[in-house]
Amino acid sequence: MCGYGVQSMHPELKEVVSEASRALALLDADRLEELALSCQALNRDLVPLSAEERREWARQSREAVLPMVTFAKVLDATGANLRVIKQLRDIRMGNLGYGDSQILGWAETGTGSVHGDH
Amino acid sequence: MGTISSAFNIAKQALDADQAELNVVSNNVANASTDGYTEEKAVWQQNSTVNVHGLTQGDGASISSVESQRDLVLQQRADQQQQLEASSSARLTALDSVQALFSVTSGSSTSSGDIGTDITSFFDSFSTLESSPSSESDRESVLSSAKTLASDISSTAESLGSQQTALNQNVSSVVSQVNTLTASIAQLNTQITANNPTSDAGTLEDQRQEDISDLSKLIGISQVTTDNNGLQITTTSGHVLVDNDSSNQLATGYNGSSLDVYTSSKDSTGATVLTDITSDLSDGGGSLGGYLTARDSDIPSVLTSLDNLAYSISTNVNTLNNAGTDLSGDTVNAGNIFYDPTSSGISGSALTMSVVMTDTDKIAAASSTGGTGDNSNAVKMADLASSTIVSGQTPSDYYSSLVSTLGTTISGVETEYTAQSTSVTQLNSQISSLSSVNLNDEASSLATVERSYEAASKLFSILNTVMASALNIGEETTVS
Repeated sequence: MCGYGVQSMHPELKEVVSEASRALALLDADRLEELALSCQALNRDLVPLSAEERREWARQSREAVLPMVTFAKVLDATGANLRVIKQLRDIRMGNLGYGDSQILGWAETGTGSVHGDH
Repeated sequence: MGTISSAFNIAKQALDADQAELNVVSNNVANASTDGYTEEKAVWQQNSTVNVHGLTQGDGASISSVESQRDLVLQQRADQQQQLEASSSARLTALDSVQALFSVTSGSSTSSGDIGTDITSFFDSFSTLESSPSSESDRESVLSSAKTLASDISSTAESLGSQQTALNQNVSSVVSQVNTLTASIAQLNTQITANNPTSDAGTLEDQRQEDISDLSKLIGISQVTTDNNGLQITTTSGHVLVDNDSSNQLATGYNGSSLDVYTSSKDSTGATVLTDITSDLSDGGGSLGGYLTARDSDIPSVLTSLDNLAYSISTNVNTLNNAGTDLSGDTVNAGNIFYDPTSSGISGSALTMSVVMTDTDKIAAASSTGGTGDNSNAVKMADLASSTIVSGQTPSDYYSSLVSTLGTTISGVETEYTAQSTSVTQLNSQISSLSSVNLNDEASSLATVERSYEAASKLFSILNTVMASALNIGEETTVS
């Protein structure tokens, strides 16, 4: 099963999703990448399951929906934060003069065309 | 699968909301092109020691200006998230108190009783009466269970009213704190703008920023920098709180039982006009927004449901009792079991719910033509338990929906709070780490956020696939 940092050897899926939210809150990229890798492996192993295992997975998935919504919201908040930070870096890297056109252009980009910051 | 789709829809809505907030931040930066910002821009352009692209910095003051601008935007984003977080937190606190009223945990000092069980017991008492319609003890049992039901519904409504009153006190306290802070910010504005625009009013600006952050926790605000680094602060709905050196103090006053918030302005004759801005503030954020949402939206919604339940049970039971024959054979004067709410309407029915019948003989177990030994009217009253008499639902189902809806609301607010709290933490971390670092450190910090976001996006996608597959194969198994 994917995930770690939880007490059980076989954590419930909802615990894994909650773990993902916590890792993202802390911007723990290493942990998130590990979780992604192990969940990817899990996805490959999901099909050849017994009927009982399938029912168990369906139950766990239903119970993981709310934590998944939380994870989605944390993800979106992080995305919005990232866009703000990227745009600020754009200003810092390319527009120190703060010319009119540059300022207006920045404001009009909305989601932000990212350039020169990677 | 439907629930997964719902999760995505909610995620998309959150994304849209964040985008709207981002646009506000962008617009604030766009204000740099207004008159108020022209002088600041000129300072940067005139200063030949500041190289474009920011790779060589010759003049500390100018670089500091740019960094201040950067911090300001990040800070504004953090303030916005903080407003939402504070609102969710305040609302959650209030909702938790509401939920405690519907808790069935035994020994709970806040619970008013288990209304769900009361409903079942009340209608079951008529089922018992069916088998022995003349039984005095069974008749007493009917009135006793009716009293328990009425008492629990009424006391719950009363407790909800008390919670609204307590929230009035919170509103008053927050408004007082808002006024203190806006007065302080106006005073700081005076001191800051008195300085030469090119000079560093660092300490004063830090103090002002601290006040603004504190203000953001209390009330939803928007801020616009004006001439000479002055500041105008409005509520998110546009009511002015601070206009450079003056603060517009908010006032509170009772509108019925509700403590409303007012802002003052001058009309054409110079007379002071008070405007009620309570509903605007409910949507605006900050703890004030959370308290007002709980007081004016969440609690009234629960009260309305409770009123519906009380009204429907009272009127339906009363109607049937009046249509039957009581133990003394009276076919027209059996009377009401519950207080009749029809004259005052549905609103307030929960609070006034009570048992008005004192004589158990007046319970009309028999039909109008069945004689005193008949039980057919008791059967009809017992059948109300499975009749869709409350907004198309049975009384028990309606009550379950009420509790379930409340739980769903709380769960949603908890989710919002978690996400907003996370966002604030991330932003504060960025503000802290970027306060005195060079470009390389800044790039590294950005890369960490970016890498985390990308990994999380990938993980979200995988988890969604895993869950969708698991639900699909689970359903297939169930079908087969």
